[in-house]
Amino acid sequence: MENDNDFSPQQSLQLIESMINRAKDKFAEDGLMYLVWGWLVFICSLLQFLLLHVFKYPYHYIVWFATIPTFIFQYFYYSKKSKHQIVKTYTDYIIGFVWITFAVVMILLGFLIGFLTTGEYYSHIIHILLAVYGMPVFLTGVIVRFKPLIIGGIACWVLCIISTFIKNYDYQFLFIPVAMLIAWIIPGYKLRSRYKHINV
Amino acid sequence: MFKELDPILHSQLRLAVMSLLISVKQAEFTFIKEKTNSTAGNLSVQVQKLKEAGYIDVTKEFKDNYPNTTCKITHTGIKAFEEYVKSLRQYLDVKK
Repeated sequence: MENDNDFSPQQSLQLIESMINRAKDKFAEDGLMYLVWGWLVFICSLLQFLLLHVFKYPYHYIVWFATIPTFIFQYFYYSKKSKHQIVKTYTDYIIGFVWITFAVVMILLGFLIGFLTTGEYYSHIIHILLAVYGMPVFLTGVIVRFKPLIIGGIACWVLCIISTFIKNYDYQFLFIPVAMLIAWIIPGYKLRSRYKHINV
Repeated sequence: MFKELDPILHSQLRLAVMSLLISVKQAEFTFIKEKTNSTAGNLSVQVQKLKEAGYIDVTKEFKDNYPNTTCKITHTGIKAFEEYVKSLRQYLDVKK
């Protein structure tokens, strides 16, 4: 690019516009973590359903220990990715905080349900999880203007309403793999193909 | 009366750098170089001028044993950019 001061106001505006567009055309999300978490939660919740409903195993929740190595993997994956990321957009920044907010709200709700409700407190978890989970998925979809995530977020809320009509606690578990499929796995594959398409 | 166009911004490469930085949170030197199609030498001179004007913050650190420069627009930079665009509009409105 030349560096002369002799250019018209129109050219200035065109330059500004083209640069702003160039900054936007890199889409950083490759969808990998959506697929990892989507499939993990999908398999764990199905396994938990089998252990609980078919095998009547009392410690059915042990399947969730599989999330610990996944958190560790995620930590290393993102620290490696941020090293190679040559630009940080406001979109990346805001989405990061949307998911941090989700994690904080989930942890707080976990405590609150345990402390404040009596009786079978665990029977509320699935509805609350679906209601809260729709939020980061929906917001991420709106921020990156990606329809599959917007639909996924709304689907979580619809599933949340439907789940309140299912009185058998065991069957409520089946809503989680369905939510994962719609809100994470399908958008994950679509994000991946979009990423590959843009960053060829 | 026309406002003077900010001479620091009214240069193709510096304006390109500022336009890139106004749309992202921060960017590395290599990203700016690639997007503006400029040479490293010319770009670092212009980045230095923007830094001296207080329009951008430049952080130099080491990444995998290589020096790495990251640029970020400052509040002064955003203000100057907005003023520049305002002045451009004035010119264009009169021409219509």
